[in-house]
Formats: sequence, structure tokens, C-alpha cells
Amino acid sequence: MIDPRDLSSDDEDTALAAEYVLGVLALDERLAVEARLKADTAFAELVTAWETHFSALNDDFASAQAPDLMPLIEARIFGKSVRATRSWWGFFAGIGVAAALVVAVVVNLPPAGNTGPVLTTSLAAETQDLAFNASYSDGTLTLARLSGTDAEAGRDYELWVIIGDAAPVSLGLIKGATSTRPLANLAPGAVLAVSLEQAGGSTTGAPDQVLLTGVIAAL
Amino acid sequence: MIDDPVAPLLARVATQDRAAFRDLYSTTSSKLFGVLLRILPNRAEAEDALQEVFTRVWLRAGRFDPEKGRAMTWLISVARNHAIDRLRTRVEHTAATDGETDALVDNTPSAEANLIAKGQARKIVDCMSALEPDRAKAVQGAYLSGLSYADLSAKFNVPLNTMRTWLRRSLLQLKECLEK
Repeated sequence: MIDPRDLSSDDEDTALAAEYVLGVLALDERLAVEARLKADTAFAELVTAWETHFSALNDDFASAQAPDLMPLIEARIFGKSVRATRSWWGFFAGIGVAAALVVAVVVNLPPAGNTGPVLTTSLAAETQDLAFNASYSDGTLTLARLSGTDAEAGRDYELWVIIGDAAPVSLGLIKGATSTRPLANLAPGAVLAVSLEQAGGSTTGAPDQVLLTGVIAAL
Repeated sequence: MIDDPVAPLLARVATQDRAAFRDLYSTTSSKLFGVLLRILPNRAEAEDALQEVFTRVWLRAGRFDPEKGRAMTWLISVARNHAIDRLRTRVEHTAATDGETDALVDNTPSAEANLIAKGQARKIVDCMSALEPDRAKAVQGAYLSGLSYADLSAKFNVPLNTMRTWLRRSLLQLKECLEK
């Protein structure tokens, strides 16, 4: 741990801000720093100053041609990738239009009597047949599978929420085509993710293989 | 800001301009991908991280302030922070529910302070060369490769507490040099 014996509290803050910017801290320490940054202006300025100081080293990061991930990124942010839309209609064709309309109503309408804002996202990816729609209102998150099947034998799908820079927090296994769970304070900008795990879910507290993500936004 | 072609793009992204968002990707994704490849263990993870970084850039572009620094510096901070959080999350599996950081753009100093800050960014290279070589290497390894205290203590073969004491002293030494 920190050995502050010969550091004044100013030096202590200066060193901590530099450690945060360098990235050497453990996760719990990083999270503590990030919480402090929101409230402590003087400390946030120390972090900003170190970011500027160290930016001279940014030239040492060699550029590397990135693949065109824009379609995936747009699908994450705006929902409904081309592929997901197609498989949704394929799904509808398979079960008949009447049933599809029922599904659409179930998926898209908030529960009767709802008064709070409705938040929603599509969880879909170009490379996956699996797709979900998530909607959130009045403290309840509803997840409906739009396409794909249950995870293969010996595996489970697990749902996660990621708020800001924090580590993903598990919302439990996804069982069946539709499921609901209570969830407090989900706000626009939070990210939901579906991962593939060994049966029973993640044993590490972190997602294993993330399949799908979506950013929660107002309906 | 002077000579910062990325800043106007980022300002347009903040107004939800999707065309500007695509232009920003074309302009900056190679540099950010380079950052992520350097810090993360493999290409698949760097690609996944790049998607997450641009998702965050879309959501947070409004917090960038050109008075405060260069757009590329801001973008690289978003990428580095995400990559380092990924590394630390995997190693420790600590769950948390809080943590969106506003540090990158809030608490803006004046434009004048920013110009001074740009001079300081160059100065750190000189100041690092005044450190003992091992310590300069540790600072550089942390910044460029995302090494944690645990990684550094293994790499330099010193106990973790010793590593931390040494690095903190080096950082304060750097600070003193920067203020000269």
C-alpha cells in the first residue's frame, strides 16, 4: 500500500494523480480516484496537468490500421444493425405475422400503468444470430430475445450492466426467451452486455466472452 | 485550438453529427487502435475495446474542451483509461457500480494555462531523462504498456511496496523538474 511517511498531503495528491494517469493503480484504487475526481476540483486539475505532461509520450504509440468497425459501433449506439433487423424479420416469418405482432407489442410497450420514462436498447451484433431487445421502466428491466436460441449445452448467457468506466456488474443468467429483473437507477448511457459463460455463469466476476452490447437510451 | 484539426470534428460529434463521427473514426482510429494494441494482449481484444472507446467518445464528446488541450490527447486518454480498466478488471475481478470519470474535460484552466501546459508536455521528456534510467523506464512502461505496480515489481524484481515508493519519489521528482 501507499507509504505516505515522508509525503506531505500535497505531494500525496500529486503522486496519486500521476499514478492514476500512468495507470499503475489497482482497480479499486482507480475507482476511488474516479469517484474523487467528480467532487474534488483541485484534485481533478492535478490529473489534467499530468495528462498534459505525459501526452508528450503519445508519439511513441505507433499507429496501426484499424479495421472498419464503424458498422458495429453504430449498431451498438443506435441499435438495429442490418443483420439484426434481417434476422428479426426472418424470425417473424418463421412464426407467422399474427404471432409476430403479439411479440412486437410485448417487446415495445411499457407495462400498463407505467409512469416513469422508458429506456431501451437493442443487443445485437453483425457476427451473431443472437439478438435481444431490452426495455426498462419503473425499476424493471425486461429482456426479450428477438433471434437466436438458448446457449449450447454446458453454457449459459449472462447479462451485465456497465456504468461509465466501472467494471461490468452481473445482472444474472438469461433464462428463456423473455425475462424480467428488478434494477434500480438505470440511466441513459449505461451499457448492457450479453456474454457466453460456462453453465452457471461467470466464476470470476467478469464476463468471459462478450457477444452483444447495447447502450441504453430513452425510447 | 490552433493546429488541432480533430477538435472541430469532436465538437460536431458532440452535436450528434453522425457524419462527423464517421470522419472522426477515419481520422483517429488508427492511432487509437495503436494505443489499444500496445496495452491489450491481443488484436481481438483491441478491436472490441476500439468499439467501446468510440461508443464512449460518442457519448462524452460534449465534455471535450478545446481550451483545455488537444483533441487527440483527450481521445488517447479515453482509450488508455478504457484499456487499463480492462486489464485491471480481468486481473482482479472487482465489481463496482460507479466510476464514470469526468477528469478529462472538467475543471478547465484558462487558454493561457493551456498554452503553458503544451510547453510542459514537451518538457517532461527532458525531465524524464534526468531520472535514473530504471525509473524512467518504469514510468514509460506504465504509460505506454499499461503496466501495474504488480507488473513493474515483477519486471524490476523488487517488492511491490518498494516499487511504489520508488515510483512515487520519481513522480514527485518529475513534478519538481516540471515546475522549474
